[in-house]
Amino acid sequence: MKVLIIEDETELSNSICTYLNSESFVCETAYSFSMAMEKISLYDYTCIILDITLPGGSGLDILKELKASNKTDGVLIISARNSVDDKIFGLKTGADDYLAKPFHLPELGARVDAIIRRKVFGGKNDISIGELVLNIPDKTASVKGKPLDLTRMEYNLLLYFTGNKNRVISKGAMAEHLWGDDMDIAGNYDFLYTHIKNLRKKLLQAGCPDYIKSVYGLGYKFSV
Amino acid sequence: MKLFTRYNRINLFATVAVFLLSGISFYFLLRFVLIDQVDEDLKIEQHEIETYESKYHQLPEIIQVRDQHTSYAAVNNDGGRRSFSTVKLKNEDERKKELFRRLIFYINTKGQWYEVEVSKSLEGTDDMTKSIVTITFITILLILIISFIVNRIVLRKLWQPFYDTLASMRRFELGKAKELHFPSTTIEEFTVMNDTLRHAMTKAGEDYQFLKEFTENASHELQTPLAIIRSKLDVLIQDEHLSEAQSKNVQGAYDAIQRLSRLNQGLLLLTKIENGQFTDTVSINLSQKIVEKILQFEEMIAVKNINLSTTMDQTVHIQMNAALADIILNNLFSNAIKYNQPGGKINVIVNKTQLEISNSANADALDESRLFRRFAKSGQVQEGIGLGLAIIRQAAAYSGFQTNYAFKDQLHHFILIENNHS
Repeated sequence: MKVLIIEDETELSNSICTYLNSESFVCETAYSFSMAMEKISLYDYTCIILDITLPGGSGLDILKELKASNKTDGVLIISARNSVDDKIFGLKTGADDYLAKPFHLPELGARVDAIIRRKVFGGKNDISIGELVLNIPDKTASVKGKPLDLTRMEYNLLLYFTGNKNRVISKGAMAEHLWGDDMDIAGNYDFLYTHIKNLRKKLLQAGCPDYIKSVYGLGYKFSV
Repeated sequence: MKLFTRYNRINLFATVAVFLLSGISFYFLLRFVLIDQVDEDLKIEQHEIETYESKYHQLPEIIQVRDQHTSYAAVNNDGGRRSFSTVKLKNEDERKKELFRRLIFYINTKGQWYEVEVSKSLEGTDDMTKSIVTITFITILLILIISFIVNRIVLRKLWQPFYDTLASMRRFELGKAKELHFPSTTIEEFTVMNDTLRHAMTKAGEDYQFLKEFTENASHELQTPLAIIRSKLDVLIQDEHLSEAQSKNVQGAYDAIQRLSRLNQGLLLLTKIENGQFTDTVSINLSQKIVEKILQFEEMIAVKNINLSTTMDQTVHIQMNAALADIILNNLFSNAIKYNQPGGKINVIVNKTQLEISNSANADALDESRLFRRFAKSGQVQEGIGLGLAIIRQAAAYSGFQTNYAFKDQLHHFILIENNHS
């Protein structure tokens, strides 16, 4: 599977690339409008991470070009302009998702994972990781066929982990994913600890190995 | 005091003073001239008597004339120079006393000295003075009435462009796209004033626009470096060889980035509200919205063991932008929880006129004059970014609500009142 990162800030582009790279992913980068247009005309990508403001043109024109040539590449817009109008316009033009800068890389990872899941495993509604199976439409999870009794928060957390498996996720990224941007709970991760503790307990009780590891109080890592 | 009133007052005093002064001077001048005239007549009488005496060596016979008396009295010697005086005398045919001008002189006939007294009535002079006073007062009154009417009608009309400009300025709001409309006028002073005002307002508008654009651009430009720093940290923590001490430093950097990012978003939000980017409004059932918010903040309320009570009128609907309503409530609840003490309380009251959220806190009353300003921190809690209340006030003001603060019963009260209810 190939992911194209169209972003003129090379440092940001490199970070995204490093973070997303894994056995199943190959990342390519384009730093300008022309470079991006060339790449999308030559290759097909599973997912394209697209910045709107690019040297030489607008990311939205790249999106229009993709749609015009009937490409099925999934598109995730990343933009510094966090306005509802931009978001609506991007999604209307055919983007799959929209993420405002500055984002957490795990958030990007989870969004990219969701896009790929839709694009590649379009008909398949289950995610299977180790002993764990997640049913996406029903928002349920089970271990060895036994359903887990998870709260909405715990399910979201588990799904978020599966989109970022084998990577360390910061507490801040997790808190923002679960409670959103609006709630000012900076510096207070008590809620997060409670949810993780409960999720871990439920997984262990169901006979699932302990996939969730705490990393020095910085965050958590979900590894199978 | 109005300019008219002031002008009228000065005008009135000046007019009355001038007329009184000229009336009084005129009165005395006229009186002087008339008495002088009477004195001349009396001198002629004296001359006639003296001529008669030198011709016939005896005094003429006294003929009583109306308004004139003559009398002789024998005296021992010459009484000296002739003398004039004004006296009150009884008139012959009338009972009351009248003013007379009297001349006394001495004459010697056949070795005998006589004191001659000739008096002339001043009644005619008196009548004239009275009419002069009456005319003066009637003139003053007339002038006052006329100047009042002139001021009312003409001055008002003359000043009309000034009042139009004033009304136009009052409607003007900095940052609103509305153009300034000054009425055209041919009066030079008003034209100059309008031009000066238009120039100043245009300049202020441009500066304001520039400042807003600068804030917005600066905030946007900050997003990318912030994104890079955060992404670098996200990559950095993937390193399995990170020590515990290093991890602590990274967490510190994360928290700072988080704050910076929130700060930036807050500033952007304020700019967007100022730019009027939240125009479309919907009808919102306030209590229903608050119930949703309480659900959203449920966990945080529970963790702090906060006792929440609500008194809500279910029928209250407000007309405002949905995103702004969300922002206001988020900030209100965040604050009420964040600055609360464990086991404290939050009261929510919704009624037809206002929304009130109060929370307990260990601190005393906050300084209301500084409270809603940007970056006005209370100094006791480090967590905030100092924009929450500024955002609440601005978002509320934009939606037609007034934000108030009160400290009662050891509770901080934040009250939103719809403008037309206050």
